Amino acid sequence: MTNRSAKPNEEQGSIKSYVIGFILSLLFTLIPYYLVTNQTVAGNQLLITIVIFAMVQMVIQVTFFLHLGRGPKPRWNLFFFLATAGLVALVVSGSIIIINNLHYNMSPSDKVAKIANDENIYQIGGQETGACRELLVNHKVTISNGLVNPSYTSANKCDTLTLINEDSDTREISFGEHDHHGVYAGVTEVEIKPGRSETITLSETGAFEFHDHLQHETAGQFTVVE
Amino acid sequence: MVGAHELNHHEAESDERLAFGFWVYLMTDLLMFAVLFAVYAVLHGNTVGGESGRELFSLPLALTETIILLTSSFTVGIGMIAARQGKKSQVLLWFGITFVLGLAFLGLELREFYTLIQDGHTMQSNAFLSSFFVLLGSHAIHIIVGLMWVATILFYIKKRGLNSHMVRKLTLLSLFWHFLDIVWIFIFTLVYLGAFV
Repeated sequence: MTNRSAKPNEEQGSIKSYVIGFILSLLFTLIPYYLVTNQTVAGNQLLITIVIFAMVQMVIQVTFFLHLGRGPKPRWNLFFFLATAGLVALVVSGSIIIINNLHYNMSPSDKVAKIANDENIYQIGGQETGACRELLVNHKVTISNGLVNPSYTSANKCDTLTLINEDSDTREISFGEHDHHGVYAGVTEVEIKPGRSETITLSETGAFEFHDHLQHETAGQFTVVE
Repeated sequence: MVGAHELNHHEAESDERLAFGFWVYLMTDLLMFAVLFAVYAVLHGNTVGGESGRELFSLPLALTETIILLTSSFTVGIGMIAARQGKKSQVLLWFGITFVLGLAFLGLELREFYTLIQDGHTMQSNAFLSSFFVLLGSHAIHIIVGLMWVATILFYIKKRGLNSHMVRKLTLLSLFWHFLDIVWIFIFTLVYLGAFV
């Protein structure tokens, strides 16, 4: 008992340790605050600097306030803390890397155009997407026995084109020439199951041809004018 | 005498186990905050044309909150020293100061939330504000729990005196409070200072 009460400060901290911790913490709060308000350094360099200050301040508080690593051995608290710190680093850095990567890869313009077309979003942030505000006339094209009827459709912009598959094979309608597929209004391919139909919005003007990717003699044409 | 010594020994050991158990809880709580920080880091740019943190946050206010919480963490430490020496009036004083500082911190934080919401910057506005309110709200809830905890312990110390049972509770409370201060350092750095980088 005498041993314990004689040196309680060893593991539980003294006023001195709290004062030192407090002053250091204040310093490590005020310095990054000063750096940010004065913008002495900028950009990523500044971000890294203030994060380092936060890390050091964490170590200061863990040492001087929580007295981690000063208890009796084995220091399970410390081990557990370090293991958690590792997990935290993994979760945070992993999430940031993965999501930034997704963010970068998920917004190519043709995908945006397709979504805009599918959802009839005619403008995003004040910019026209090329999608239609309202849909006009619907044209029907029937595919039966491998033949496209009518094989040529003339339409106005913002009409719709419905492709009806009456055959027993699934059609994979592509645009452009066979093996040199193009994209029509953000759509790369239309899959039509047997007996079903699919509708596309004619928001892009010009002359186009389409064909079944699996059976390229099944082909048709359409023109879209303003 | 030997019996008493052994009893003390057992008590010290069970105290240690209790503190370690609480430490494990704190570390899982830390993991939760880590996920919220990751969410904030990922979403803080998604303002959907709305105002970003740079326009919405006030650095002097954030600094004031930080210094208040830091000071409260310091007074908890001083209060713990008094508690281990069995000085009841000092414990009431230092933990009382902690309670007042914690309340001041919470008041400033809630006022900031209120101002934001009044100006139409709510959780529903965009992903940035959703993650902001969830991260800071979680911290604020912890502070509220901590304040209720301080109040309860102070009430019982006043009523029943400062016994070893109370010192044990104060030890866990001090761990909790220091932990909240450390989490706040990262909120201050990444959310507030980070918005102005």
